[in-house]
Amino acid sequence: MPIVHLEGIEKDYGTGDGALTVLKDVSLDIEEGEFIAIVGASGSGKTTLMNILGCLDRPTRGRYELSGTDVSKLGDDRLSRIRGKSIGFVFQSFNLIAQLSVLENVELPLFYDRVTKAERRRRCLALLDAVGLSHRLKHYPTQLSGGECQRVAIARALAVEPAMLLTDEPTGNLDSKNGEEVLKLFHDLHREGRTIVMVTHNPEIAGGLPRVVEMHDGRLSERVTESA
Amino acid sequence: MWFARMWEVLVLGLKNLLRNKLRSFLTMLGMIFGVGSVIAMLSVGAGARHEILTRIQELGVRNIILNSVKPPEEVKPDSSEQTWRVSFGLTFEDAEAIDATVPAVDRILRVNRIKKRAWYGSKRLETSVLGVEPEYLRMFNLEVGAGRPFNETDARDRAKVCLVRRGLIRQLETIEDPVGMWLLIGDFSFQIIGVLADEQFRSHTRKALAIDGRAQEVYIPYSTSMRTFGTITHIERSGSSEYSQTDLDQIVVTTKESDDVFPTARVLDALLTHHHDRRDFEIVVPMELMRQRENTQKVFSIVMILIASISLLVGGIGIANIMLATITERTKEIGIRRACGARRRDIVVQFLTETTAIAAIGGLFGCLFGIAGTLGIVEFTQWKALIAPHYVGISLVISCTVGILFGIFPARRAALMDPITALRRE
Ligand SMILES: Nc1ncnc2c1ncn2[C@@H]1O[C@H](COP(=O)(O)OP(=O)(O)OP(=O)(O)O)[C@@H](O)[C@H]1O
Ligand SMILES: [Mg+2]
Repeated sequence: MPIVHLEGIEKDYGTGDGALTVLKDVSLDIEEGEFIAIVGASGSGKTTLMNILGCLDRPTRGRYELSGTDVSKLGDDRLSRIRGKSIGFVFQSFNLIAQLSVLENVELPLFYDRVTKAERRRRCLALLDAVGLSHRLKHYPTQLSGGECQRVAIARALAVEPAMLLTDEPTGNLDSKNGEEVLKLFHDLHREGRTIVMVTHNPEIAGGLPRVVEMHDGRLSERVTESA
Repeated sequence: MWFARMWEVLVLGLKNLLRNKLRSFLTMLGMIFGVGSVIAMLSVGAGARHEILTRIQELGVRNIILNSVKPPEEVKPDSSEQTWRVSFGLTFEDAEAIDATVPAVDRILRVNRIKKRAWYGSKRLETSVLGVEPEYLRMFNLEVGAGRPFNETDARDRAKVCLVRRGLIRQLETIEDPVGMWLLIGDFSFQIIGVLADEQFRSHTRKALAIDGRAQEVYIPYSTSMRTFGTITHIERSGSSEYSQTDLDQIVVTTKESDDVFPTARVLDALLTHHHDRRDFEIVVPMELMRQRENTQKVFSIVMILIASISLLVGGIGIANIMLATITERTKEIGIRRACGARRRDIVVQFLTETTAIAAIGGLFGCLFGIAGTLGIVEFTQWKALIAPHYVGISLVISCTVGILFGIFPARRAALMDPITALRRE
């Protein structure tokens, strides 16, 4: 059973005559342990698709099964729960809460998953150690470099042991050295068996991944690579 | 577990409030004034009630006090005549009628009062001599500090004994023990057998019992008073002289139950009105004090409730306003929390905690402010106030209620935001 099963997903923005269909009949299966890149021109609907995959948004039409459950019709509370428990987001702009320390930021999903404070602490220290930031626990996001911020964001995304990592241009705001470091982290996570979906503009990055799908004006097509 | 989570949310809320100290403080002002007025109102109200209760207890909850009142000067004597007689007030027949015919009456006490010049050795005093039954001393808590009170035997023997106030001793500036000494009242010598513990009645009691505050009170047995001084008072002023005749200056009526007081007072009024052709008496019902005082109190309370409601309303609106601004500032944070699994409920709880915390802290400061204000009111008005520990609880309940009520709207607004829109906001 695939982790993600999309079938005829469509997304409209606006209603009536002004309605804009941003996703058109998107179907996609993602298996457990896959590392998949989504590429495509700006405005082609990549972020919109990611939002639906991450249960931040609901498709207008179509069926979305996440680990076997149909989530397209779930209520807000259930979706929040899935976001908190099964999905880890890594955003281009990091999206760390400026008023919280590094450690507190990483703990956030675990707090909403009702994990006790001691357990939270234990798991987050391990994660921050894994991304090489154990010396920055009490720092605030504004005191960190972009690369460090993104590593904190990755640690946060991993905190709940999600079924799938979703990342939208994780290297977009980073210089090449920091970008490479972050990318290496994702490759390591993939080797550990995690499922990762990554949106990227960078053909070089996409080229290095086993599976690439391409968005074109709201339609999705598989790009067959030689290595497959 | 639930408590630990709430605690974390609270700590987070407090941190956010501390981040904007000035803004938080200004937001609290409404709560401070609102809760302050509530506390001031409560403590002044409680103080007044307490005072009234003590007063009523002093005068006796079951008592009705009938006083003889000199009616306004009626027949002016023609200028040639220098002496005239007036007769007014409560009569022996009134007393008997009350005792015999009003069923709710437990007992009555007769009081005879005369103003006399008295001498202690060579020192002259103006005294108000009260002829009272021994029971009267107990009824009005006239406790004897030194010596003994007069008793039934003294009354039966019509003994020439008297009790004086401590204030009189002070006025005499004497250092010797006055007990056993002699006081010349009018033409008669009375032995001082006791000194009362208090200097005077409090003003309201004095008024109710028709005791002249300028003269010194001397208590003698009623029977002695009747035998020695009788019922005729002779007053001389600027050449003319007046004889007034009053059987009883006062009758203290005690009812069987405190519930009987008001009906009995009405019956007595009817009875006396029937027997008297003019209004030469007054009826004092100590319980009435409660009603009167409560009316004055009501005005104060209404003003304070008005101030409190307006302040609390303004305070609540201020809190809602600041929270709406905060939510706009923190839209991104809300989006991030929602992406990390926060349900709408979690967002509501987070912001409600902040509004409630700010309101509660304001409420506690308001409580202090109210206590300080009360002390100020007491200082300036000489009212009595009663500050109780449970006011802290009341303050918290009021302010938390306001915090929750006015926090719901902004908190819901935060929670209903679309997570994607919130995330996209910079
Ligand atoms: N909330 C919205 N309301 C209306 N139109 C929207 C909304 N969000 C996105 N769109 C439109 O949907 C289309 C797809 O947007 P989307 O953000 O998915 O593009 P993208 O592929 O991620 O582009 P980029 O590479 O620049 O990030 C765009 O044309 C955009 O204008
Ligand atoms: Mg995008």
